[in-house]
Amino acid sequence: MPDETTTDAAVVATTPQHSAATPAHPQRSEALAFAIGVAGWLVPGLGHALQKMWGRALGCFLTVGALVFLGVGMRGNLFSSEGGDAFGMLGYVADLGTGSFYFAARALETKGSDVAHAEGDYGTRFLAAAGVLNLLAALHAYEAARGRKA
Amino acid sequence: MITAMVFHLSHFQAMTLFALLISIAFGFLSRRRTSERVKYIIWSLFLFLLIGVGIGWAMYPFSR
Repeated sequence: MPDETTTDAAVVATTPQHSAATPAHPQRSEALAFAIGVAGWLVPGLGHALQKMWGRALGCFLTVGALVFLGVGMRGNLFSSEGGDAFGMLGYVADLGTGSFYFAARALETKGSDVAHAEGDYGTRFLAAAGVLNLLAALHAYEAARGRKA
Repeated sequence: MITAMVFHLSHFQAMTLFALLISIAFGFLSRRRTSERVKYIIWSLFLFLLIGVGIGWAMYPFSR
């Protein structure tokens, strides 16, 4: 995997995150950083890819993708908005953290969930962890776009 | 038509895979240089497994 030291340094010099420090267009750069964060949430790794952090983009995409793939393969529970109780809603928010992968997982899990066995229970954790991990990555991309140390 | 895929993993396999993937993600997000990432991933994976197995052992007396 390429060393991202130089890549990130180049990005720091070119992205509008530095304009956030200067009073020229702070609102515009803040909006751009927010858009990058949302892009990173919708497609894992896209927020970093837009900032030319290729290693991080690939790492996020592959790890979140693998967690979702394994979670679905283990027949984990994908929560829906009609969960009812607070834990169901929390699970839904965590699952939705994978962005577009949530819908891919729904399409892939044709047999439905099976949490009666340990595998299915593990799968549920894999799916939730994928979502939370992707939210963390999106937040990281947002902070990087704002010019924070990343 | 998407065919259903089902994985059959043991507890240890599932834990190891989970630890590996999370370690890789953390390594890529928190470190920049490749060598630092590799060190971080190995160390994180080791701690994940050590703590996981340790908690398993600690819970063993209460399992029955």
